[in-house]
Amino acid sequence: MLPGDFQPPKRPTGRRIALFGALGLGGVVGLVVVVVIATFVISAWLGLPLDAFGLNEGPDQPIAFPHPTHVEDLGLDCTFCHRNVTVGAAATIPAVGFCMSCHITVGDDKPEVEKLRNFHTSGIPVDWVRVHRVPDHVNFVHEPHIRHFSEQYGGASGTCQLCHGDVGSMVKVQQVRSLKMGDCVDCHRDNEAPTDCTTCHY
Amino acid sequence: MASTNTQWGMVIDVDKCIGCQGCVVACQSENNIPINTEDLFNQRRAIEWIRVERYWEGEFPDVKARFIPILCQHCNDAPCEPVCPVFATYHNNEGMNVQVYNRCIGTRFCANNCPYHVRFFNFWEPEWPETLTNQLNPDVTVRSRGIMEKCTFCIQRIRRTSREAARDGEELSDDSRELNPACVNACPTDTLFFGDLNDPDSKVAKLAKEEMSDDGRGYHLMPQYGTSPNVIYLKKVDESTKDSNGSHE
Ligand code: HEC
Ligand code: HEC
Ligand code: HEC
Ligand code: HEC
Ligand code: HEC
Repeated sequence: MLPGDFQPPKRPTGRRIALFGALGLGGVVGLVVVVVIATFVISAWLGLPLDAFGLNEGPDQPIAFPHPTHVEDLGLDCTFCHRNVTVGAAATIPAVGFCMSCHITVGDDKPEVEKLRNFHTSGIPVDWVRVHRVPDHVNFVHEPHIRHFSEQYGGASGTCQLCHGDVGSMVKVQQVRSLKMGDCVDCHRDNEAPTDCTTCHY
Repeated sequence: MASTNTQWGMVIDVDKCIGCQGCVVACQSENNIPINTEDLFNQRRAIEWIRVERYWEGEFPDVKARFIPILCQHCNDAPCEPVCPVFATYHNNEGMNVQVYNRCIGTRFCANNCPYHVRFFNFWEPEWPETLTNQLNPDVTVRSRGIMEKCTFCIQRIRRTSREAARDGEELSDDSRELNPACVNACPTDTLFFGDLNDPDSKVAKLAKEEMSDDGRGYHLMPQYGTSPNVIYLKKVDESTKDSNGSHE
């Protein structure tokens, strides 16, 4: 046979099939690993879990309290319930007695309202699950933020969406902004707010 | 918000100190400092952001007890700052030497370089008896094991008062108990004064001007190190030191 002549392809041996199979399987596993790592890196970059497959869904609360019913339908102000937000550090969640000022008469046939009334009669406070929480070594204070942005966003209740998104339309409250240090400091720089470490850490 | 040319400082009139330790206790509870046991003192690992040192002078029966409260001097040329490899301690624009706990990696270089012995290392995870856990101050971070800590001039109180003054459109005043650090408020004899050294109307600025002059009683601790502290001491006046000049130097 001359060098340029046609040669029929050799049949792959059993060992070769096993080798290619192993390589193919390894590739698929490797791809999965890369995708998983990339997901972690991206969500760490965003500072939030990816908003897909319900990963970033808010937690279940002891009472399924719907913001839309109260904010969109009834037109209540955020500061009507979160009273301390214009005064101090924590926004605060209202006490059960406060809800009962309406719910003593409103929502008779609703099971969730029934739960609320049980909390009221037993005198046990509701153990709401925290959605937003900065670590212990950070001091966040609502009041100066609300004061600074109120004028620009038409009143105290207009400022909340800056950091919390459109809570009024969320059936379950979820976090939409990373509120990590880079996020805080970026906004502080843009607004000439203090960026000394002891503004937030002490 | 405190203006950028604020220079927080303290004046300590040693003449008035009776060594009651009120400041020490107040500081301990304001700043979530763990309980110092006898063991910790023996190991020299007790944490006291402010301490009262006691010295005896003279022979019995003419002995005199001398007291001097010592806390972080918030030096303008602080020896602790340049040795920190991660910039966890630095001088902020309000004249304070501050410690960023979450940045600290616990090399302890700063404490070793401090001539006043006012920096403390957490050798253990802090613990409180069950009965005291509810008295922790929520405005102050609990420092975990492996972290350096020290006097902050009760910055949480300064921050809160500045914010509330801004909210209510009022001027900050060093007469306000809310602004003053816990030790200053607790002192029964008005030994300690706190305020803005750059504000000519403040008590500390007036005292500093008056007492740091040639015939005044003011002095800095260990001036030979050139640390330029923001804490000024006023020396004791009594019969034995009246004629001698500047025995503290
Ligand atoms: C009727 C009272 C009421 C009104 C009005 C109200 N909220 Fe709430 N809010 C609650 C209660 C109760 C909770 C706790 C349950 C939960 O998290 O769903 C809560 C939770 C939240 C949380 C999550 C807190 C966390 O744990 O991090 C945010 C953010 C919030 N509200 C923002 C708003 C904003 C913004 C508005 C105005 C658009 C508003 N709320 C109006 C009662 C109210
Ligand atoms: C201003 C009066 C008012 C206040 C205050 C108020 N609610 Fe309501 N709430 C209503 C009304 C009106 C409805 C709608 C009832 C209906 O659809 O029959 C409602 C509905 C509800 C429902 C039932 C939603 C559903 O469709 O299942 C829950 C749960 C509830 N509220 C919880 C709370 C809690 C918790 C608080 C206190 C943080 C609170 N409410 C404060 C007026 C109020
Ligand atoms: C600058 C960003 C920002 C704005 C503006 C803001 N929040 Fe918050 N909010 C936060 C952060 C950060 C937390 C977590 C605080 C923590 O862990 O101490 C939080 C927590 C909360 C909580 C739960 C914990 C608490 O403090 O009681 C509620 C409720 C809340 N916000 C309501 C509001 C409402 C209502 C408004 C508008 C009036 C508002 N927030 C405006 C950033 C913001
Ligand atoms: C949307 C922009 C924005 C974001 C996001 C934001 N801040 Fe602020 N913050 C401001 C502004 C503006 C001020 C100055 C308010 C004033 O005093 O006029 C401020 C003031 C403050 C103050 C008070 C400073 C003082 O004067 O003592 C603290 C503390 C603070 N922010 C902490 C935080 C933390 C922690 C976060 C992140 C969780 C954060 N902020 C996120 C805009 C923001
Ligand atoms: C505007 C507020 C703000 C300022 C100013 C700020 N930080 Fe932070 N910092 C935060 C917040 C919020 C976090 C928490 C982020 C998170 O959720 O993990 C944080 C976290 C950190 C951490 C990480 C701790 C950890 O466990 O991951 C370090 C270190 C830190 N800050 C150091 C500094 C230093 C040093 C400065 C001054 C140069 C500074 N910070 C200024 C808000 C601030």
